[in-house]
Amino acid sequence: MAAPIAIHLEFGGGAELLFDGVKEHHVTLPSQSEPWDVKQLLVWIQQNLLKERPELFVQGDSVRPGILVLINDADWELMGELDYQLQDQDNVVFISTLHGG
Amino acid sequence: MCQVDEDYHDQLEHADAPSVSKKCAKCKEATAAVVIRAGDTYCRDCFKEYFIHKFRAMLGKNRIIFPGEKVLLAVSGGPSSCSMLSQVQEGLSQNAHKKLRFLPGIVYIDEGGAVGQSVEERRRTVAELRALFRATGFPFHIVPLEQVLDLPGSVVTVAPSPSEQPASAYKAAVDHFIQSDGGSRLTPQEEQETSHPDVQESHTQSLQQLIGSAKTLTAREDLLSTLRHHVLVHTARTEGYSKVMLGDNCTRLAVKLLTSISLGRGAQLAQDTGFSDSRYGDIILVRPMRDYSAKEIAYYNRMFTVSSVFIPGLDTMATDKASIQRLTESFVTKLQAGFPSTVSTIYRTSEKLQTVCRSSSTADLFDRCLLCMCALDTAVEDASAFKATQISEKLSQTKSPGAPRTKTQRQIQAPVESESTAPSRQCCSSGGENCGRAAAGGGGCCSSAKLSETTNLKSLMCYSCQLTIKDMTSVERLPQYILSEAQRRQRRSQMREEISEFLLDEGDGGD
Amino acid sequence: MATEHQKPATQQQQQAGVSSFTLVIYEQENFQGRCHELTGPSNNLQEAGVEKVGSILVLCGPGAKKPGNLQTQRLAMPVLCSSCAEKRAALKRPKTGHSLCKDCFFWAFEEEVHQTIVAAKLFKHGEIVGIAASGGKDSTVLAHVMKLLNERYDYGLELMLLSVDEGITGYRDDSLETVKRNQQQYELPLKIVSYEELYGWTMDAIVKQVGLKNNCTFCGVFRRQALDRGAIMLKVDKICTGHNADDVAETVLMNVLRGDIARLRRCTAISTSSEGDGVVPRCKPLKYAYEKEIVLYAYFKKLDYFSTECIYSPNAYRGYARTFLKDLESVRPSSIIDVIHSGENLSVRDGVKMPVQGTCNRCGYISSQALCKSCVLLEGLNRGLPKLGIGKHHRLHGKILSQQPLTEKEERKLKAVDF
Repeated sequence: MAAPIAIHLEFGGGAELLFDGVKEHHVTLPSQSEPWDVKQLLVWIQQNLLKERPELFVQGDSVRPGILVLINDADWELMGELDYQLQDQDNVVFISTLHGG
Repeated sequence: MCQVDEDYHDQLEHADAPSVSKKCAKCKEATAAVVIRAGDTYCRDCFKEYFIHKFRAMLGKNRIIFPGEKVLLAVSGGPSSCSMLSQVQEGLSQNAHKKLRFLPGIVYIDEGGAVGQSVEERRRTVAELRALFRATGFPFHIVPLEQVLDLPGSVVTVAPSPSEQPASAYKAAVDHFIQSDGGSRLTPQEEQETSHPDVQESHTQSLQQLIGSAKTLTAREDLLSTLRHHVLVHTARTEGYSKVMLGDNCTRLAVKLLTSISLGRGAQLAQDTGFSDSRYGDIILVRPMRDYSAKEIAYYNRMFTVSSVFIPGLDTMATDKASIQRLTESFVTKLQAGFPSTVSTIYRTSEKLQTVCRSSSTADLFDRCLLCMCALDTAVEDASAFKATQISEKLSQTKSPGAPRTKTQRQIQAPVESESTAPSRQCCSSGGENCGRAAAGGGGCCSSAKLSETTNLKSLMCYSCQLTIKDMTSVERLPQYILSEAQRRQRRSQMREEISEFLLDEGDGGD
Repeated sequence: MATEHQKPATQQQQQAGVSSFTLVIYEQENFQGRCHELTGPSNNLQEAGVEKVGSILVLCGPGAKKPGNLQTQRLAMPVLCSSCAEKRAALKRPKTGHSLCKDCFFWAFEEEVHQTIVAAKLFKHGEIVGIAASGGKDSTVLAHVMKLLNERYDYGLELMLLSVDEGITGYRDDSLETVKRNQQQYELPLKIVSYEELYGWTMDAIVKQVGLKNNCTFCGVFRRQALDRGAIMLKVDKICTGHNADDVAETVLMNVLRGDIARLRRCTAISTSSEGDGVVPRCKPLKYAYEKEIVLYAYFKKLDYFSTECIYSPNAYRGYARTFLKDLESVRPSSIIDVIHSGENLSVRDGVKMPVQGTCNRCGYISSQALCKSCVLLEGLNRGLPKLGIGKHHRLHGKILSQQPLTEKEERKLKAVDF
């Protein structure tokens, strides 16, 4: 059993509009049998934070193309993208590069 | 229909699973922080250096901005234009050799009135941007888009461009500049700002009615971007700037290129997406951010705390199919996710294009579109998409002699080689003269006075702007400077027609 | 009687209490253009100055009578043909947005193709023209319209059907049956050239060797030459193909997406000039016809065509362009023609390198390389190195021509085929 972890989420570039305009979120992910990864985080965000138009944020099991992800200020492509295992106090940023975000 | 007679397998390989190195590809020491195009990984410091170098290299390569020239930075508040602003600041703080040598100013066009922001929201956004601009020390101008209602007719006329300078002039000017002052002059500039004048509510309403008279979001976005350009150019002219820098990045330009094609703006592609755009003559628009991808900019802004302000636009939260612009953006972004070379390939296409100059006298106003100021692309040959559409329009509105009951009596018409004899047009039983003119302008004939006004206006526009006008309920809401310029051009061309038989060489060039 | 109104609707509502019903007849669709009011029966609308009716608005009528010969019902009005203003419209033209009845549509469609042929001077009197016939909707409509226009306007052309048998069991053999029926229906001579007789390979055999991934390359390259060879056998002066507006627009988009500036410039041309020996000039009379209209034309005319996708065609990238184009069309129906207009007006910067066309050293067909694509592909198939023609291996052309052996490494690279 993995313990619950506290992480810091940030939405920018217009992506915050999907979260009531709130840019920063301190959240605690509940404990679960296996460690949290980004893929599960996206599901959790969709179920717990996303206020409207989920298709503008997620597509399939990943983020919508055009939304960039940084984990602890580094490109998520360097961190294994969806498979990255989240640690306590991680900082995950979602920036939309889409005009109509 | 399967018609694959082409080979293109090399470029279009799917994205492979990422196997990126954790080390910076450049210094090979520090831990990588960003993956940029072509899978290169950069650490923070190398990324910064690369980013800053690229800006100067773009300006250096194109040699368009002369030392000491006044350059207006068009800042929308978005990440790209804010990044451009920070690059100019960065460039001015460099040592003499690498220093940028032009005199920047900032303009922000407040479009809140057009996109339906409340007065309160607009005030807040403007305050936020004012703080941002003040911090730069550059002069800045905050202009509400409502100003478009009061523009002078000169905005839609081409001003003569300053005489062409030979390539050697650039180097001479740079040398002279370095010798004369070593570049320490910029700091003591007195703070100069044109602040947002309070906008009259009636003006905002007129603007909203103007934008609202376009029935589709496609046309609305197109119209808005045209009006924005007009205000930008006007501001530059009145404030004495000769160049305007736009923040379009490579991703945006790829989308814009494909959008332009979809909107029928093929002839204008080079101006719409190239590094420099001289359609206005005296004021040249330049796009120094065109080598950066949206991703690079987003990461740079994040890592080096370049702040930007998110301002909702017309298409914010719109669905993918809400407009052609929106659809194209989502198409390119999705394709880019599967084929990582998509954006750069489309972008490279833009570098291989040039502006067409059909008429010999490029400054001739009658050959320019009333709205976008590009050379008209409607004087095309007989077998063309434009002519084919006109024929379709005509045929869909006239009675066919081929209706079944006349079938037996029909005699064989035009043999193949003969001139294109349009099928018996049964237009207006009265006022034949006017009718011929209207038909030449591209619309149907036999219409009421109001419709023919639209038709006449259309004849002054390029193919694509005609499509935009077609999507509008009426042209009456267009700003006065456009309507009066239209009248002026119509009077001129009428006059020209009247005197044409006395002219020896000009013929009837101007339609 | 004929009055001009800006906003008749509001006016009418006020009057509604006075008279029992009012009809407002508009010249154009969507209640636009000149309008006329009717408050009583009228036996001849033309006397009242009405020449066309695009739409009718019924205001507060308890029982609208029939004015003139117009079929009217309360509130729910059938749309009338915007062309003849007599019959019920059968379709809305995607191209212009007008509603037409069947007969007016047929006439407009055919007339447009005629205008294209005349304006672009596609044919000369007395020419022999081969119609590339696949049995699909485009080529079936093309054959039908060409035959009809040739008679209606006395083009003086000798028409024949030209088909290619790629050797795809379950697809081409069926569609060729359609072509054979067409031959009888239209009484046109038919020539079928097969890959097997030309190249010694059927597509079925090729797919067996190269797999599904790249087979479209083979098929496309072989088809182009097959048509030319068939045309030469028949002594045809020109070939016309069924490429429609959607196909042309899609090709423009494709070439932008792959940055192929040379093809981008060529792809909107309505006809190719004769490029040399062994190549017959081609043209696309349906270049400005929307696919939708072609399908509607075939449907209303009950033309006999074959409509199954090729069983070997998984061409993904072109599929993206197609989907995008269809989406564009749904946002703004004129988009397809707009894209073509863009393509026709592009201008390429001076100094951008363009491939130089030469001829193939083996078969004499046009080629920008030492060997034409088709010869390279064939060489690859015959040597069991199917990858030879896929991707760029120009530097190997010399070796192939002089029959030098390839190195082991080169062979290994060309053999690998991923299924």
